[in-house]
Amino acid sequence: MTAALPTAAGPAARLAAVDDIAYGAELLASTPTHEGRDPELLRRWARAATEFGSAMAPVECRARVVESSGGLALGLLARYHSRPVPTVELFTDTIALAEETIDAYGWRHWYPAGSVRAAALAHEAVHERLHHGPAKRELKQLLGHTVLRLGRHRVHGHVAGADEVAAHAYARTACGLGRSPLLLTAALVAASSGKEN
Amino acid sequence: MGVVILLIMAVGVVAMLTRKIPTAFALVLLAVAIAFAAKAPLTGENSVMDGVIQNGAPLLASTMIAIILGSWLGKLLDETGIAGTLVRKIVEFGGDRPVVVALGILAVSTLVGTVTGSAPAAMLAGIIGIPAMIAVGIPKVTAAGTILMGIAAGMPFELPIWQFFSTALELPVDTVRGFMLKLFPFALAAAVLFVLVESRRRGVEHAWALKSAPARPSQRERRGDAPWYALLTPVIPLVLALGFELAIIPSLLAGILFALFTTTRPGEYGKRLLRTLYSGFEVAAPPITLFVAIGMLLAAVKLPGAVSALEPLVKAVSPDNPVLFVAVFTVLVPLCLYRGPLNVYGLGAGIAGVLIAAGIYPAVAVLGLATSYNQVFGVADPTSTQTVWSAQYAGVSPQQVMVRTLPYVWAVALAGLCVTAATYL
Repeated sequence: MTAALPTAAGPAARLAAVDDIAYGAELLASTPTHEGRDPELLRRWARAATEFGSAMAPVECRARVVESSGGLALGLLARYHSRPVPTVELFTDTIALAEETIDAYGWRHWYPAGSVRAAALAHEAVHERLHHGPAKRELKQLLGHTVLRLGRHRVHGHVAGADEVAAHAYARTACGLGRSPLLLTAALVAASSGKEN
Repeated sequence: MGVVILLIMAVGVVAMLTRKIPTAFALVLLAVAIAFAAKAPLTGENSVMDGVIQNGAPLLASTMIAIILGSWLGKLLDETGIAGTLVRKIVEFGGDRPVVVALGILAVSTLVGTVTGSAPAAMLAGIIGIPAMIAVGIPKVTAAGTILMGIAAGMPFELPIWQFFSTALELPVDTVRGFMLKLFPFALAAAVLFVLVESRRRGVEHAWALKSAPARPSQRERRGDAPWYALLTPVIPLVLALGFELAIIPSLLAGILFALFTTTRPGEYGKRLLRTLYSGFEVAAPPITLFVAIGMLLAAVKLPGAVSALEPLVKAVSPDNPVLFVAVFTVLVPLCLYRGPLNVYGLGAGIAGVLIAAGIYPAVAVLGLATSYNQVFGVADPTSTQTVWSAQYAGVSPQQVMVRTLPYVWAVALAGLCVTAATYL
């Protein structure tokens, strides 16, 4: 995959004009099971997941970290596997493109040098925490998506994609970023596909 | 002469393997060439024109009707949101536990697999099911494999397949149903094992992706949830055909009407029925084309000249000892992959016809052989449309899916062959 870096200020401004919650809602909208859901409901879920991720206690990345190239071809910046041993894969080519994009868009004040790698580790650490611990249930309660009501009792349903929004929100807080990595992801989608937004 | 026919078959296999000629066309050419090699006359009884082309083309007509009805029902499951609702409910209720989601989607795939086969079945369960599994952390290869293993678990109850084997092997539907009931537990056990073992081995996977979900064939609008009772649609034809022993075509029609009445306003019945029927024809076109060609091939290998030429050769290489039968045909399982000679939707149908026509094995044993191979082909063949679709939609290669699923379906084939040998040989 070839990467064409946008240099015009226009696309950067246009992407940055969209707030982080809207990017979260967009991520949820493109996640299966949410097709055609009320945009306001998705925005509410995105806000709840963002608040959950931002308020999470610091999470140490205990997984093994490996670095490799080939992320652009896979469309990935980082990946977490729970087996055979918990591992975080960091894709150096995508991280490098992210750093270049930050410079090209003039977003360095939001994403300090080296922060993409740190954000990726923080993001995947949250997935590990959500996978192994009770935090997943807390997130579900906070989202409050009722799928079954029996008198006073309510069964909360899983909201696909909410953990992803929470992981990005945590990464933003933990790494002291000015904006969510979701904005950076939107810019990378444009850059990696060679299109300008 | 038998050697010449085998050489013609080998050329046909090469043509199919190299994809020089589409499978259906290659089978028609094979049928005509075999008929000429068997010294069939051009016209008249047991001839190339009348015996093979005229009578062979509609030989599997009942199967073709069943395929059309299955595709029609599949389209209704899609358009009325029944399949999508099933998957969404599973994700919402079990999303915290990826294995539960995978098992739920496996169950949906199994149900869908009883209604329709091939790529349409994979799409029905997979369009929402595959990205939904990936979103909860199921690795991509496991997600694609889950859909395929599920469809294969439903295959023993796929009514058009009953019709196909009944007509092609000249066996009563009851006999086909009886064997399929024996095969089903193995197919289901393998499918459940696949999900449990692969989940244990591969765990979960989450990614910071540049796109949140795999590219969809078309950005579809959510059609709203179907009512809970409409979700019973896939089991209606099954209950009627299995429980009440109703014939295949009325059972499928009952499923279509149930889906319609439980999801559609009365004023829109006609419009929806017609629209989904016509879309169903489009879905059914590739298998119907194949069944026309298979009908001709079956007619050709059953010509008296072909039978007498092939009988001594096939007899010489076919094991008659039950243990040897299981061992040899288990080792030969890979020959049903890549459009190989034992693929029952290709030359394998012709070989099955030869085995029966030459009296090598009883027809019911050939049924056991063919259905066992069908379980492998339906999941692991990297050239079969459902495997290609599922793998590509999940973002992996069909070969990756083949490598992961083959051990499980090979075991199903082994079990099917053991049952066949123990029961019919």
